[in-house]
Amino acid sequence: MTEYLDPTDSVAVPRKTAPRPASLDGKVVTLLDISKAQGNHLLDRLEELLRERATPKAIIRKKKPTFARPAPDALRQEIVSATDVVVEGLAD
Amino acid sequence: MSPVDPDLVHAIESLYARGVTDGLPVVPPTRALVDRAVAACGREAGELVALVPPNYGRATVEKIAINAVMAGCRPEYLPVVIAAVEAVCDEAFDLHGVSATTNAPSPLVIVNGPIRGPLEINSGAGVFGSGWRANATIGRAVRLVCVNLGGARPGVVSMSTLAHPGRYTYCIGEHEEASPWESLAVEHGFAPEQSTVALLAADAPLGVYAQRSRTPEDLLPTLAASMAVISHHKMTHWGDTLVVLSPEHAKILGDAGWKKADVRRWLHERLQWPVCELVPGHNGGEGLPEHVLAKFAHPAAERAMIPKFRSPENIKLVVAGGTAGRFSAIVPGWTFSKGSNLVFRRVLS
Repeated sequence: MTEYLDPTDSVAVPRKTAPRPASLDGKVVTLLDISKAQGNHLLDRLEELLRERATPKAIIRKKKPTFARPAPDALRQEIVSATDVVVEGLAD
Repeated sequence: MSPVDPDLVHAIESLYARGVTDGLPVVPPTRALVDRAVAACGREAGELVALVPPNYGRATVEKIAINAVMAGCRPEYLPVVIAAVEAVCDEAFDLHGVSATTNAPSPLVIVNGPIRGPLEINSGAGVFGSGWRANATIGRAVRLVCVNLGGARPGVVSMSTLAHPGRYTYCIGEHEEASPWESLAVEHGFAPEQSTVALLAADAPLGVYAQRSRTPEDLLPTLAASMAVISHHKMTHWGDTLVVLSPEHAKILGDAGWKKADVRRWLHERLQWPVCELVPGHNGGEGLPEHVLAKFAHPAAERAMIPKFRSPENIKLVVAGGTAGRFSAIVPGWTFSKGSNLVFRRVLS
């Protein structure tokens, strides 16, 4: 059997999603607006519902400078260090 | 009739099943074919060329060669493919956004310089079309790298709503010999004897039929009207976009003494509208974003002008296509604020 070479980079496997918490009570939740039009409407409503239906320790609002690029490293680090759960809002 | 080679059939089918193709059959990347391509480019197989967003796979010379072999490249094309991969992985290209967006862009490779000759890169008749090995396979190799090393699998990471056929392959040469002006690369600081690639995150080309135009004053309003509808008719502050002038159209402008800068300035000045015509809800739901509208007390009555393009320099002119025919094309970039820009790299061979 002829050997065929791998066109992919086996190191760059898709990342697994983080484990989901059983409850949001007592958790710090970050709502990340990616700067798409009307994303804030979606996240405003989500924040209302979170306050109504759960008791998170805090809800933090953050915003990416543009939806067209990844979040800057500093913003990512800030979120990772201060947050248990992130919700990213895509809208249009 | 010769018997079917079961190894070959298995390789073609299993590569498709693994999701590492573009849907068309690929050349199975054997050790011998890949080594031959690596040897032709004169670089070490393990040399890291770039990390390919969004998955940041390691694009070594050998990994690029594997994808180039699969795309059908001849070994001598590899330096062009490597330069193009470097360019798309430049931060200014924003491959992360290009590969993940719901919009439709695909990397367009524009080749300048003497390498177009020996590699037979088509810059003439049918320049965006089929039938030329180098154009067909260099563009295809870049896309396979984006998929296999960058992770841009359709429906997995690449979420484009429509995409366009340039996602199979998208590569042209500039018809420098038929241009009245300096080439795109020379205009951007390269010497005429250097070979380069310029990479644009590009929508599909929009043809402009201007067959009765004989003067710049005939031609430019027609071109401008096609540029006005890029993205949508009220999109503004757009960035790098390609205007591909056929040799006959370029000659009209050159013979009248127009320089590239004159053409850019004319188009930029023509393509602007007052705020009141760009308010969402006036002549369609699209329009200026909220942060721009917020600068004006009464947008619906505001006469301040807003340009289609951020600056004349965002309008990139190249000459390409056959020497017969008064047809040009607009190739819109994908350039939301802080989005993708035209990126150049020298071809080292």
